[in-house]
Amino acid sequence: MKLVWKLLRQHISVPQFAGFFFANLVGMLIVLLGVQFYVDMQSVYNGEDSFMKDDYLIVNKQIGVVTTITGQSNVFTKSEIKDLKKQKFVEKIGAFTPSAFDVSARFDIEGLAKFSTEMFFESVPDEFVDLKTDDWKYDEGDRMIPIILPRNYLDLYNFGFAQSRNIPKLSEGVLGAMKLKISIRGLEQNDEYEGRIVGFSNRLNTILVPERFMLWANEKYAKKKAAEPTRLILQVNNPTDEHITSYLQENNYVTDESKLDASKTTFILRVVIGIVMAIGLIISVLAFYILMLSIYLLVEKNNTKLENLLILGYSPAKVSRPYQWLTVGLNLLVLLLALALLYVIRSIYLHQFQSFFPQLEIPTMWYAVAVGIVLFLIVSIFNIIAVKRKVLSIWNRKES
Amino acid sequence: MEIINLKAAIPEVFAQRTDIMSDVWLKDLSFEKNMCYLIEANSGTGKSSLCSYVYGYRKDYQGRIFFDEENICELNIKAWVEIRKKHLSLLWQELRLFPELTALENVLLKNKLTGFKKRKQIEEWFDRLGIDDKKNVLVGRMSFGQQQRVALIRALCQPFDFIFVDEPISHLDDSNSQIMAELLKEEVEHQGAGLVATSIGKRMELPYDAVLRL
Repeated sequence: MKLVWKLLRQHISVPQFAGFFFANLVGMLIVLLGVQFYVDMQSVYNGEDSFMKDDYLIVNKQIGVVTTITGQSNVFTKSEIKDLKKQKFVEKIGAFTPSAFDVSARFDIEGLAKFSTEMFFESVPDEFVDLKTDDWKYDEGDRMIPIILPRNYLDLYNFGFAQSRNIPKLSEGVLGAMKLKISIRGLEQNDEYEGRIVGFSNRLNTILVPERFMLWANEKYAKKKAAEPTRLILQVNNPTDEHITSYLQENNYVTDESKLDASKTTFILRVVIGIVMAIGLIISVLAFYILMLSIYLLVEKNNTKLENLLILGYSPAKVSRPYQWLTVGLNLLVLLLALALLYVIRSIYLHQFQSFFPQLEIPTMWYAVAVGIVLFLIVSIFNIIAVKRKVLSIWNRKES
Repeated sequence: MEIINLKAAIPEVFAQRTDIMSDVWLKDLSFEKNMCYLIEANSGTGKSSLCSYVYGYRKDYQGRIFFDEENICELNIKAWVEIRKKHLSLLWQELRLFPELTALENVLLKNKLTGFKKRKQIEEWFDRLGIDDKKNVLVGRMSFGQQQRVALIRALCQPFDFIFVDEPISHLDDSNSQIMAELLKEEVEHQGAGLVATSIGKRMELPYDAVLRL
């Protein structure tokens, strides 16, 4: 093969291959960076609310001076809910059910801190909680209650309490493994339960429990079937829809505007990353095109040599191999270099990320590696086939 | 491969002609192993074409050519690669050496593919043919006569049932032609192969069993 290579490396144009190499490197790097950045950003958003989708909105009525004075209710009436349901932007609607009994919780972090607080529970229909059903399951009479806490509570502890007392900060994972002691009082009953934290949310400023527990406990401790909802949860088809804002304003409803903005930001970010990746892909395709042109030129220039090798008894596969290895080698080099560069660039931006989101769990680079390998395989397979076809055309020229 | 059989074969360019007087074209002709054939012809009568047809390099002929029972039109790439490696050798009139490689590299390029001859044997041939000092010279820098000898060595670096030599001594003096003929004869006899030589006048001195006019 050494002699074959000695022959076939003639006329290899270094500038052409260098051109391909850098163009493909840039293209590949942009694509991989897009993928990895998206995955990393996704972890930021998912980290915020893994169990609440972006297209959920929480709506309540505005509480103003007038409502306080007049004692006007801020509950949603049935007709109001019905009207909301009719809106085109609404896909699903669910009510928050508040607890009608007293709850207090004790939280004991071994040797570090103890908390005890009066609190309340709320629930929403299970279909709005995007958790594995096992995590969010409650059977009547169970001592263990799954709970979703507002992330503010964790921040309050980490950045306020732990900071000022010089005690260790807690990650979500650690906290999830701890138990809350919960006391429930109502109608001459007093019971102890255990709370298990299954998630944190900054979309919901409430302590969420499974709806099944809530209905059962309201009945048991307060003899109450259903309270009228003061807050609603909506699933909308497009959170950036302007009709939502105008409808809410007309009816004097409030939603967390910043969440609407956040979902807009996410949406825009996705589009931007999509565009960037598309540009990367286009560069890669063009680079691939340069490579194919170079190979074709090379084959044309070495046409006689290739033909004579075939005549000597070298098979088309054997004659193709040096050029196939050349392209695959170049592609592999591009892939490795792109991944190395990605690693460097990523460590720079992740450093920034972590200062914004300290509790962020860093995703691995496997996504980018996988996409890189897939791209490498696709390009290499195309190269291999193209070279083979070109050599076969030399074989067939004299035959056909 | 035991027999090469031509059945009414003729180059397409001659197909319209009615004045073909040939022992080969449009005839039923067989080349057999252990036989030695000379095809004599004027230039332009299709010697090299015949070699190209038999070697599967060109297909612009009418009629049929068989290797044993197999019509060579129906052979696939894999079969041709095998045939060119193990059954059929051709010394091209235009030699088809690689000018970028040295004489020895040109021979080794074939021998590495077939693994047929020992390096010592090859060097001995270089010596016998009087081009021992040219082994490491680029073929592009050698005279055509020297190149013809290199091409012969290369053609012998493979097992074959038939060897075609297309005007092998056109640029050689008599003594070199003689050495070349001896070498060829030895190897053909050793392999029990059939030999087909072409000539436009200057013929290689071999014990021909048949002389055909093209």
